[in-house]
Amino acid sequence: MSEYLLEMKNITKTFPGVKALDNVNLNVRAGTVHALMGENGAGKSTLMKCLFGIYNPDGGEIFLDGKKANIHSARQAMDQGIAMVHQELHPIRFRSVMENVYLGRFPGHMGVVDHKAMYDKTKALFDDLELDVDPLALAGEQSAAILQMMEIARAVDMKAKIIILDEPTSSLSDREVEHLFKIINRLRAQGVAFIYISHKMKEILEISDEVTIMRDGQYVGTWPVTDKATGEKLTIDFIIKQMVGREMTNQFPPREGKPSDDVVLKVEHVCSPLKKSFQDVSFELHKQEILGIGGLVGAQRTEFVEALFGLRGIASGQIYLNGAKYTNKNPGFAKSKGLALLTEERRATGIFGILPILENTVIANQKHYANLGILNEKKMRVEADRECKKLNVKTPSLETLIQNLSGGNQQKVLIARWLLTNSDILILDEPTRGIDVGAKYEIYNIMLEQISLGRSIIMISSEMPELMGMSDRIMVMCEGRVTGFLNKGEYTQEKIMALATQFAGRKENTAA
Amino acid sequence: MRKVFILALTFLLVFSFTASADEIKIGSCIYRFNDAFMLRFRNAMSAESEKLGAKIEHADGQDNQITQNEQIDKFIADGVKVLIVNPVDRMSSQLIIDKAKAANIPVVFINREPPEEILNSYEKAYYVGAKAEESGTEAGQIIADYFKANPAADKNHDGKIQFVLLKGQNGHQDMILRSKYSVEAIKNAGIEPVEIASAIANWDKLQAMQIMNAFTMAIGPENIEAVIANNDEMALGAVEALKNSDYNKGDKNFYIPVVGVDANASALDAMNKGEMLGTVLNDSDNQGAAAVKLAYALASGGDVKSIGYEITDNKYIWIPYQKVTRGENK
Amino acid sequence: MAENNVSKTKKLFTVCGLVVLALGIILYFAKAPMGLNRKIYDLPIFLIIIGLGFACKGFMMKPGAKELELSKKSFGEFLTNNAILLAMLVLVIVICILQPRFMQIRVALDILTQSSTKLIMALGICFTLLIAGTDLSAGRMVGLASVVSASMLQTATYANRFFPDLPQVQLWMPILIAIVACMIFGALNGFLVAKYDMHPFIATLAVQVIIYGACSLYFDMPPNNSQPIGGIRPDFAQLGQMRLFAGIYQGFPGISILIPIALVICVIIWFVLNKTVFGKNVYAIGGNREAAVVAGINVFRNIMGIFILASCLYGIAGVLEAARTAGATNNYGNGYELDAIAACVVGGVSLSGGIGKVGGIVMGVLIFTIIQYGLQFINVSPMWQQVIKGVIIAVAVAIDLTKYRRK
Repeated sequence: MSEYLLEMKNITKTFPGVKALDNVNLNVRAGTVHALMGENGAGKSTLMKCLFGIYNPDGGEIFLDGKKANIHSARQAMDQGIAMVHQELHPIRFRSVMENVYLGRFPGHMGVVDHKAMYDKTKALFDDLELDVDPLALAGEQSAAILQMMEIARAVDMKAKIIILDEPTSSLSDREVEHLFKIINRLRAQGVAFIYISHKMKEILEISDEVTIMRDGQYVGTWPVTDKATGEKLTIDFIIKQMVGREMTNQFPPREGKPSDDVVLKVEHVCSPLKKSFQDVSFELHKQEILGIGGLVGAQRTEFVEALFGLRGIASGQIYLNGAKYTNKNPGFAKSKGLALLTEERRATGIFGILPILENTVIANQKHYANLGILNEKKMRVEADRECKKLNVKTPSLETLIQNLSGGNQQKVLIARWLLTNSDILILDEPTRGIDVGAKYEIYNIMLEQISLGRSIIMISSEMPELMGMSDRIMVMCEGRVTGFLNKGEYTQEKIMALATQFAGRKENTAA
Repeated sequence: MRKVFILALTFLLVFSFTASADEIKIGSCIYRFNDAFMLRFRNAMSAESEKLGAKIEHADGQDNQITQNEQIDKFIADGVKVLIVNPVDRMSSQLIIDKAKAANIPVVFINREPPEEILNSYEKAYYVGAKAEESGTEAGQIIADYFKANPAADKNHDGKIQFVLLKGQNGHQDMILRSKYSVEAIKNAGIEPVEIASAIANWDKLQAMQIMNAFTMAIGPENIEAVIANNDEMALGAVEALKNSDYNKGDKNFYIPVVGVDANASALDAMNKGEMLGTVLNDSDNQGAAAVKLAYALASGGDVKSIGYEITDNKYIWIPYQKVTRGENK
Repeated sequence: MAENNVSKTKKLFTVCGLVVLALGIILYFAKAPMGLNRKIYDLPIFLIIIGLGFACKGFMMKPGAKELELSKKSFGEFLTNNAILLAMLVLVIVICILQPRFMQIRVALDILTQSSTKLIMALGICFTLLIAGTDLSAGRMVGLASVVSASMLQTATYANRFFPDLPQVQLWMPILIAIVACMIFGALNGFLVAKYDMHPFIATLAVQVIIYGACSLYFDMPPNNSQPIGGIRPDFAQLGQMRLFAGIYQGFPGISILIPIALVICVIIWFVLNKTVFGKNVYAIGGNREAAVVAGINVFRNIMGIFILASCLYGIAGVLEAARTAGATNNYGNGYELDAIAACVVGGVSLSGGIGKVGGIVMGVLIFTIIQYGLQFINVSPMWQQVIKGVIIAVAVAIDLTKYRRK
């Protein structure tokens, strides 16, 4: 028995033009939670993909239980006890939960699936993990949290010794996070090792035993969360310092000036045609104001802003833009009225992965560069270049395909896209999700700069500190309804949570 | 309103039944209405029926044997005296014969010949059509006749005919027979045929044109002495390709005889312009008339021998193909 | 070092080109005295053109351009990346040996002529492929356009006129009517796809059947009754058969007018795809439709535009086919869409949308035509031709996909 369950030694991986991993080490002990940290683009995902057999490293070795391991495909990785729970889950939506759990290894004989056994096994697994989900329910109807648990259940059932969790809490509510940690603790006690990738410092300090930090594809170091000798805990400042290579004193840039009294957007009793979606939403957005929208997953915040932008229909209610009546016909119309929407799902509804950065930057503003439908390429290039430079997008050139950029840089390109349209109202849906600390700060700066230019912002955020640090006012939603407004200075995490869970008990009541 | 309509319909039905009691009613099943050849055939049959004072009704099989079977059932139920059937699938003729036998009415097959043993299984079954091989034979004869009349057509003076063969759809009965017998006819006329190239062009003008283009480039038009095509469209495609190489544009020294089969309007036009040598006509008018005359005689109990067509083996009426060459057509 | 390497590559290209050029010139003057006229035909001229091309490429090579690495690995990569092209070259050499007549300028021109209409179709269908769709109605639209245009452009004296009483109209009118007829069906395609979010496979399948039915009804109208349309007016036939610069020197067959037509359309389509808002939108919708919606692109209008533009190109192809063959039937164009899709795919257009270049499509079409023509030339059985065609498609796509997967 070797000291480490997993040893990755001097892993090197080069992509055309980029050294993604440069002699990186990672040593994980059995029965521990090992946090892997670093800014976006630091190489965490690449390292995990090397471990999981999706990439073949150019150099370095991997040892499992002291024995050299050959992993060339995800299948081989799973056979050797490695499981990965991806950040974005893609279940087979129209199949049941249990089929998703047993996908690829259905129980049965000679190609005939034993549904009863599958049901019983899934049920037992879920009971064990205290999951109250019907194995026969459709996977597509489950929340992100349930899907994640489903993946973990799958890993447990496959007797995984190492489970990789990539940003597991990015779309979970606090209660769901609690449940997840309970499960992690139980499995850890059984000797399972976790590799835990996250940007959330508090979580890391709460759940993990050791922390490995990477920066720019290089290994920075590994520290125990609690020093055995002194009993001292790692500090957030220390971790951030190691991650960015510099001291970070302020998480949020200072806000100067105040919102004006002019109302730019007025929403009155807007209801979704779907009963379960947003209902009776009313609020005013002032000029130069950052209005934060808080709430738990499922509060229908995204659905509401999508409706505002014309991606969804509304059944009733009025919307006024600068005093004039506005109908949410379609995104093109919303755009022409000075609205911009940065969507939550960057990959699904934001970027054009196979297109270069240039096209991705100017796509929403093409009319501006066109004369009789013919594009002025020079003008496009100049403006895209200017905007990308201003937002500090790290890329070799504008011809680089956007899918080759890190998440933070992709997000900056998307922001550049909407800034080019000179929209007056920016709607930002989770603008810093899955983005590293440095890039977050830059995005906050951009937001404040836009405010100073006389624009207004609606920001949906599930991160309390961000919501409280950036907003001038917070509107809290719960299950599709606005449950309250909090002004700057009067909000605390507890108040927001109280509003966000206002109806939380109702569900259980009706269910019973 | 609806009652009136139903009443009217009933009257109509009764009336039509009573009307059909005296005159001879012929049920004609065509494999598909949307077929140029069968259209002419159909018109010829209607004209002949009118002449004889019989009533003929045509049904469109829509190229579907099951549909046709249902139509035959309907005709029998309607009490037709005789069936004329152009089967969708000639191998399904047994079923058709069984139906006719059960109703004890005669059946005359047209255009698509049922296998011999099936036709022989019912004494009141007949076939009217053309011998497919004859179309090949006549096309070959046109070429042979041309060579005998124009010794200069033998460009390399070797006494043989170097020809290119353009074939129809692979496996099609007409394609096999026409290809075989056109060559045979040249041989029978005393000239040795030499196939220098052949290809399947699927009855298609465009494909034939592209293939012929490649052949003229590969072989050289000066080395091709004749083009034999299984149908007119392919012959016309070959003509376009030859024109592309400045052949068949009127100059006698740059001319390759091209023959086809069908005698369609474009082919006749090309022949008038001297671009194409000849074609063979499948005589639908004559076939239609013969089919109806035979059916009428069978239904009315008349003598089938006296209708003016020779009946071979007591089963078949063969209508010969007709050669059409330059100057003969109108 | 790199600088040195580039100049080496440049030298290599230039020298190779010049050697081939010199060889061509020598052969050109030597072939008649050496009695090679009937053995190598126009080979010297081809050599001169190839040599010039290489030399120019070498000459124009900018310093700092991608270096040509000469190693076992890069050689292997070169082989797989260009497998189809190399296979074609081998085939061409084999054909030249078997049948030296293949080495004629007129053969090359004939191949280009045959490629022209196919290219126009492929350019149309590529738009539908770029949005991860397809267009099964393309072939039948060719048939429709050819029948409609030919039916109104027959000579007055022709015995079996489609419209016996139609006066001799201006040439452009029936052509326009034919193309507009196609565009109407293209709009129907687009409407079904854009409005009801129907999968293009199903939508265009339905429209394909409708078009064929409608075209057959038209074709079956009395007095034509499904007879092949002939007696085409010479001025219309010229549109597909005219040859430019014929006889500019002894034996030069002339350049078919179809070649410049296809070239012009190529340039237009390249421009549309690369320089216009519409073109960028096509790539964007193909790349990520959801994101395109969010970016405020009017997906409905663009999809309509795609199918209408595509059908316009099929219409042009159909009219040209009718003119070229001086005739039409309702069966024209049957199955063309699959050939066009295959050519696009061989030319690097991705069926999952968003990827594809005009240059690639031109290559794809040329490769297909050359192989098909070459096999025809040496009289290979059509069944074998089918087998070979299928293998090309499978191999080309497999290579393409491995190229993308290589991360």
